[in-house]
Amino acid sequence: MPYSATFKDHLINPRNAGDLADANASAEESNPVCGDRLRLSLRVTDERIEVARFLAYGCPPTLVCGSVMTELIQGKTTAEANRLTRADLLNAIGGLPSRKQHAAALAIETLRSALGQVNSKQ
Amino acid sequence: MPDQRRVYLDHSATTPVDRRVVVAMMPYLSGKFGNASSVHFFGQEARAAVDRARREVAALIAAKQNEIIFLSGGTEANNLAIRGLCEAALPHGRHIITSGIEHPSVAGSCDLLEKRGWEVTRLPVYDNGIVRLDDVRSAIRPDTVLITVMLANNEIGTIQPVKEIGALVHEKRATGHRQLWLHTDAVQAAGRIPLNVDELGCDLLSLSAHKFYAPKGAGALYVRRGVRLASQNVGGHQERERRAGTENVAGIVAFGAAAKLAREELDQRTTQNSQLRDRFEAGVIERINDIVMNGDRVKRLSHLSNISFRFIEGEGLLINLDLQGVAVSTGSACSSGTLEPSPVIRALGRDDELARGSIRFSFGQENTEHDVDYAIDVLSQAVEKLRALSPLNKAPHQESVGTAP
Repeated sequence: MPYSATFKDHLINPRNAGDLADANASAEESNPVCGDRLRLSLRVTDERIEVARFLAYGCPPTLVCGSVMTELIQGKTTAEANRLTRADLLNAIGGLPSRKQHAAALAIETLRSALGQVNSKQ
Repeated sequence: MPDQRRVYLDHSATTPVDRRVVVAMMPYLSGKFGNASSVHFFGQEARAAVDRARREVAALIAAKQNEIIFLSGGTEANNLAIRGLCEAALPHGRHIITSGIEHPSVAGSCDLLEKRGWEVTRLPVYDNGIVRLDDVRSAIRPDTVLITVMLANNEIGTIQPVKEIGALVHEKRATGHRQLWLHTDAVQAAGRIPLNVDELGCDLLSLSAHKFYAPKGAGALYVRRGVRLASQNVGGHQERERRAGTENVAGIVAFGAAAKLAREELDQRTTQNSQLRDRFEAGVIERINDIVMNGDRVKRLSHLSNISFRFIEGEGLLINLDLQGVAVSTGSACSSGTLEPSPVIRALGRDDELARGSIRFSFGQENTEHDVDYAIDVLSQAVEKLRALSPLNKAPHQESVGTAP
């Protein structure tokens, strides 16, 4: 299965890459099997994700999942972001081959972990 | 993207067919289409062409023409050499010595025999990617029947001490170890370094046509006179009963033509390739930090450069380069469809990050200095971009370029 145009676009022009100096929630998760790593930093105000930034190491789907996910969650409430599923993310990317779908799982896991920090702080 | 510039830097994967080779093979696709086993005019025309090609392929490795078996390519040659020899040598022993960086067709043949009861010793290669003769010597047992060590590695281009191993095998034979044979996979070396089977002292040697400007689908196994092989393909008398199946006449003609050109133009190609490779490496070292060059800096093929880029993963880099028109390959696990990154880079003692971030650049006849400069530009931009995304890239992180892990 070839990568979609959306996929290539995000790989060449990643959105929201970087760290956030004033993040109030962040998480870094890795896939112990293949070593892929995703870091997500959020600035949340009044239960709304104002800014989301990501850093990623790993195969292209991991980089693209990080980029697409930040676009999906920016501006959303934390409750809305918490409802984001792996399927939503895969859909937004235009699909991934089955052996690459672990990248979407890592992204959602990192998101949940960061959002968990927001909830525990409030 | 009609205006996309394309720079092919993956000549270790395959090469474009030389125009002169195309001209030589074309008549055998249509007018001269006979089956080389047929008795009539058409068959004899094809037979004569196959025999001419056999002389050229033999000349490339300084062998006799009746020591060349044509087959489909490197993978089949390696399978026939290893499985065919071990089956035939079965009464004499069940031990094989190989290296830890062989092509999958050699490694896979050894794995298969291991499952069937043979014992396999896999020699280490150390951080320069080269097998040590002392390790070969101490691995030889009374029941060792085969040593199979590649002449040049396909990922890092390091040249193995096959000639020295050949001398060792002859020494062992002279002192009574009569059933000890040496095979070498010369698929990457052919057309890139001079080959002489007597100087190497090998009994079996694998070749593939498409690695030196001939089409895919033709290869050869050199079998020294007197070496017994159990055929792995049965049901025909072709190739002196050793490889049943109608000869790929046009492919073999092309193979012969390409072998002749490779022999005649070897020096010129080596000079051209190494100039491009050196220009490339100098440019990369100047423009990109935190890299590790893989494999011995001297004992290696002239057309190939393998570099690990810290903090990033190879497939992301490969796709970024491809979208800019530059074609390379990577040792990253993602590309190969496995979870483990390149066993060759790991065998050098490199960590997973370096194995995952390794890229092979292999140059060829049609590449120019402009191609190299374009590749350096595209590569340095892509590396910078991916590193900006990487959580492993924690500043301050200054590391010098080096060959050590």
